[in-house]
Amino acid sequence: MPDDIAEVYRSTYPALVRFLYRKVWDAARAEDLAQEAFARALVHRPENARGWLFVVAANMARDEARRAARERRHLTLLKSEPDAVHSAPDEEIDADTARARLRAALDQLTPRDREALLLWDAGMSYDEIAAQTGLARGAIGTTLARARRRLVEAYDAGLEGGRHAARG
Amino acid sequence: MPHVDEGTLHAYLDGELPSTERKALETHLAECASCRATLAEERALLERATALLGTARPAERAMPPFEQLRPRSPKRSPWRVRTPVAWAASIALALGLGYFLRQPTAEFAIAPPPPAPEVALMDRFGSQADANKPESAPVRAERQAQQPARAPTSKTSVTRAESTGLGAEEAGVLSRQRIADSLAPVGRSSVVVIPLAAEAPQLRNAAPAPTSVSKVNDSLALQEAIVVSGVVASRRMQARLSATTTSWPIISRGTARSLLGTEPVGLPGLARQIRRNPANDGSVVVEQRIDSATTIQIFQGPAGADYYYDGVRERDRATRKDAPSAAAEPADRLARYVGKLRVEIAGPLSADSLNRLLDQVQPLP
Repeated sequence: MPDDIAEVYRSTYPALVRFLYRKVWDAARAEDLAQEAFARALVHRPENARGWLFVVAANMARDEARRAARERRHLTLLKSEPDAVHSAPDEEIDADTARARLRAALDQLTPRDREALLLWDAGMSYDEIAAQTGLARGAIGTTLARARRRLVEAYDAGLEGGRHAARG
Repeated sequence: MPHVDEGTLHAYLDGELPSTERKALETHLAECASCRATLAEERALLERATALLGTARPAERAMPPFEQLRPRSPKRSPWRVRTPVAWAASIALALGLGYFLRQPTAEFAIAPPPPAPEVALMDRFGSQADANKPESAPVRAERQAQQPARAPTSKTSVTRAESTGLGAEEAGVLSRQRIADSLAPVGRSSVVVIPLAAEAPQLRNAAPAPTSVSKVNDSLALQEAIVVSGVVASRRMQARLSATTTSWPIISRGTARSLLGTEPVGLPGLARQIRRNPANDGSVVVEQRIDSATTIQIFQGPAGADYYYDGVRERDRATRKDAPSAAAEPADRLARYVGKLRVEIAGPLSADSLNRLLDQVQPLP
């Protein structure tokens, strides 16, 4: 018998939204996708609803990202000027900037490292992450250690880069 | 024990190290200062990474209630099922616009177009045709009566009607005639109802009932999934479900096949129970449990026959469509044709969900 989807919904929805948010970077869109994933689960009745939801959500986010990338390409064709460099990185870092840095740092991880990190942060166990990513369970700790290190390094490098850009 | 790798330390910090390994690690940490230092570094790294991730959280918002998820209809192409609705709406709009623009005197007006497609599409093909016969007959009679007065183009006909001093009634009949004519090439339109407003009393005397023109093509209907009814309150569906078929005798699939003349249809992979309509009209219902709280009913019978699914004859329902309470009738169940069967679906789900399930109905293995 499949898990009771209503129960899974209550326990997993916020984590799924968070997981999706780090992929689409739009809170409303993340909620839409999460709800869509649950609506699909209601139709498909998967055996392991929680894992299934994250797989479906990851796929939807990937499709979404591809679409966004296509739209960006179109936009850059239209836009002649390059993006303006942040002018005051030494000032108080507002939430938007921090988010943009984190996003840039996450983008520098390998897809597998990033996925493991986001799944862990969404509350999945090592067993679940292993099932989801196809990694051996024993490799999850190493993967997460590497992902965390790279994330912190990339984030700090982004900070440095921002300072250099401002000074230079 | 050799020094510990960072993966093991992270698994340990994450509380995911199997207990035997954890004990061995703790023993080692107790006597190895170097590994304790590494552990402290890794813990700091882990906390930093977690904190960074924490900066990118969507604002906490109230979770929508689970029940609200059901009516959602993710990613269903609006064109697949709703083409008929869009189609009928376009016709009604075009008719309404054209009619409005061509009619210089505001002696009578068309009711807003939206109700037309809704009424039209909620009805059944065969039964609708029957139901409309009595009403469409006078229209045909009028057509014949007015035939000599018709001008070649509709625009000049109105002008002439006015300039020659024809009464409002005759002008009105001419205009209605145009509507009927313009519907004629529209083979696939189910029904278009154009009620005339009360400002034209003479006209209403001439045709007391709203003019209904029915163009039904049954052979088309057999090939095509045509659906029905845009807005259905799921609670209403819920209230009406189930009670009606508990008295129907349970039959085997073989019996169902001989009753239907073909394989019964349903959703593959779900438990099913088949019941026979006690009215002996050849229809059956396949009941399938989606989960403990949700049973859907898939009514089916040979296309073209009349059924008593809810103790109400299909044709009776159709004739009551014009009553104000008609929307609450079971007639807004969703229907399509699968092979030679006319299939209706009902259950405590939203119309959209039922629609999607109906799409998946196929002959049962």
